[in-house]
Parts: sequence; structure tokens; C-alpha cells
Amino acid sequence: MSSRRIPRIGIGGPVGSGKTMLIEQVVPILSSKGYRAGIISNDVVSREDADRMRKNLASERGLMPEDLVVGLATGGCPHTAVREDPSMNISAVEEMESKYIDLDLIIIESGGDNITTTFSPALADYFIYIIDVSGGDKYPRKRGLGIENCDLLVINKIDLAPHVGADLSIMERDAKEVRGNKPYVLVNCRTGQGIKEVTEHLVRDVLFESAPKAVARK
Amino acid sequence: MSIDKINIDELSIMQLSDSFFPTGMYTMSNGLEALFYSDKKVNGANGLRDLIRVYVEHQIGPADCAALGNSYGYAEDLDFEKLLEADETLFSMKLVREIREAAARSGNQLLRCVGSFITHHEILNKYQEATKARLASGVYPVALAVVSSTLRIPKRKAGLIMLYAFTVSLVGAALRLGMVQHLEGQRIIHELKPSMLNAVNDNIDRPLTSMWQFVPDIDIIQMAHERMGSKMFIT
Repeated sequence: MSSRRIPRIGIGGPVGSGKTMLIEQVVPILSSKGYRAGIISNDVVSREDADRMRKNLASERGLMPEDLVVGLATGGCPHTAVREDPSMNISAVEEMESKYIDLDLIIIESGGDNITTTFSPALADYFIYIIDVSGGDKYPRKRGLGIENCDLLVINKIDLAPHVGADLSIMERDAKEVRGNKPYVLVNCRTGQGIKEVTEHLVRDVLFESAPKAVARK
Repeated sequence: MSIDKINIDELSIMQLSDSFFPTGMYTMSNGLEALFYSDKKVNGANGLRDLIRVYVEHQIGPADCAALGNSYGYAEDLDFEKLLEADETLFSMKLVREIREAAARSGNQLLRCVGSFITHHEILNKYQEATKARLASGVYPVALAVVSSTLRIPKRKAGLIMLYAFTVSLVGAALRLGMVQHLEGQRIIHELKPSMLNAVNDNIDRPLTSMWQFVPDIDIIQMAHERMGSKMFIT
């Protein structure tokens, strides 16, 4: 990674798994620690997710300038936009990097896609894949490049497990078996349960425990 | 006597024409998405073919293809000032913001990609620097001309690359919108081959001062796309 490149976190996962809500939970915690984040949100059919995050994180809570939440349409090919042809996302990232050199990290949300989606290393330095228990406890066992290869597997909506007949212990067991030593976290993005642990992974594994740029400059 | 020779240039043509080549064209519908959601329906596969022919004959041919032809000559002559003039002229002719910005974005991505494996070439390097310094937009037809000259792709074949890539991009968008099915898409591309060929032959040597385009219905539908709240494509 060059010294100018701001660390980039890619977040992928199926439609409705909680990608946007994960970002909405993680950014305020990072912000409370002094880390400044930019967000690029790929959406398949609209910019609704980006608009929601801009309203929630920028307009209402003032955690970032509004233009630090960018929405991209991806022509119905969310996997292409983060893997085979990430050029549009890279342009958006570099534009953000040149405008806000003091950012500590940039979060890139993929459009909702299947379990084989992965991020190009040219686009993201760290890859979070998020699934939710309502898809069934078979999800980790079914593998797929996203679940197997991501740096951090996040299993969301754990509160729904008893209601959809999903056994969390099976999901944990299979996640360990499929991913070896690579980490996973059980979360409930609605209540914030488990989000602190996700944030700790980011501070340790992406930011290498470095001080926020704004603090380091003082 | 048949001539059956192959060379590297032809592989470069295939590489640049391939929809796998990362210029972001899969994100563009050139207004087709807005048309799809409007009350003006395209009449099946033949209707789509005829519509693409209008784009080719009245917009991409006389404007983009002419700009490409001129820019190719300037790149060959190392006439950088004229190359910048072609860039500015074509960019300013693109009336719709989304289309203008998408063309510049694709061109810049093309330059960046080819620049990653052709690292030392005078006109390519200078044009890339100019786009970074925002002295040039990097609009796709001019970028393709520079890149084609760099890769020793003949001028007319560079024109075909552009027409083919544009046609495939539109058919691909139509396919994803459900306007046509996969076999119909290939038939459309096949049936448009004469139009693509004519667009190149009729326009590649057109002087910069004679470039034109006139497709008001398409301009309007492309403007309508800019105002759509929910959309899959960037144009």
C-alpha cells in the first residue's frame, strides 16, 4: 500500500443482509475514537442506501461532510463493479482521497450479491462479508468465495435465530471449519450487539492501532 | 489468393473490444433505461436494432468516430495541441452531463489500463498527464485514438472497436433490462455490422470542423435519465 493510499474496507453480502446498517453502526464508533471515514455505496437499482446513510450519518448526526457519502449505480452487475471491472469504484475512491487527504479509511459497500462475490485487491485492502441467519444455518456450510475468503465474516440478525429455526452453534461450527483461523463475529446490527468487536478488528487489522490522522497531526 | 496472416495488432483489437476490458461500459445504457421506463416503448428486437442504428448514424458516427479519426492522426503526428483541441471539441459537443462525464470516465479508465502495460510512450504519457492535470477530459473516442496509435492498431479498425463496443454496451443494457433476450441480442449485433462499417468509412476522415450530431429525441431521453431517482445504469 502506498503512503498516499487511504485504507479501504470492502463490505459485501446478499441483498438485505445488513451491509448498510453495519456501516451505520460502525462509523459512529470509529468517529468516537477520532477516525474519519468516507463511504462509497454501490447500489443495484438506486442510491437509496447512500441517501439514507448521508441523512443518518452526515445531515442528522454531523459525523462527516455530506459529500463523504457517495452513491454509485452499477448497471445491474454488483459483482462486476467490485471484482472484474472495479474502475468506476477506484475513480470514486481516488476522487475522495484527493479531496480529503486526512481520511483514516474509506468504506466501500457492494451492491447486494451472491455468496461468490469478492472484492478486487486493487479496490479494497480488507474485505468484510456479511450474511444473516434468516437465510438459514446452512449458509456458512454452503461456502462460496465471499464466506471462505473474506477477512472478517459477520453473521447478522442473530436475534432472529429462534424465529427462523436457525442454530447459531451450527453456524459458528461451520464458519470455523470453512474459514480455518480467519475471524467471524455474530452481530445484531439493529441493537448494536457485536459491533464493538467488528470495530476492534478494523482498528487492529486495518488501521494497525495507529492514531487518527487528525490527532496525529496535532 | 487468400491472405491468411495473423499478428499481434489483431489481438490488441480483440482485447480492447472485449466487454471484459475494464472501461466501465457495462454501467451505461445511454438513455435506454429511461426509455424503458417511459411511455415510449421500443418495438421488440427489431425496434431496438433500429434505435441503435439511429445512435450510430446520427451521433456516434459523425461525432465520436470523426473525433477518433482526427485524434488518431494527431497522435501519429505527435501534434499534442491539436489532440487537446479534439478532446475539448468532442467533450463540449456532448450535450447531456451524464453522457459527457461517463465518456470521460471510460476514456480515463482506458488510458489508465493501457498505461499499466505500455509505460513509456510519448503521446500516451502526455495525454494521460494532461487528463490528470485536468487540461484534457480524456473523452473515450480521443483516448481510444491515442491508445490505438500506441498499440499500432490501424485507424479504421480503431473506429470499428468503438462502434462495436458501443453497440455491445447498448445491447447488453437492453438484455439486462429484459427488452431483448440473449439470441436476439446477438442477431442485433450481427445485423448492425454494415451500419458500423459505414459509420467508420463515412466519418473517420471527416474534418474536426465538420463533426455533427442530431438526435434530439435521444438527447431528451438521456436528460430524463439524469432525473430518474432509481436507476441501474449511470447513463
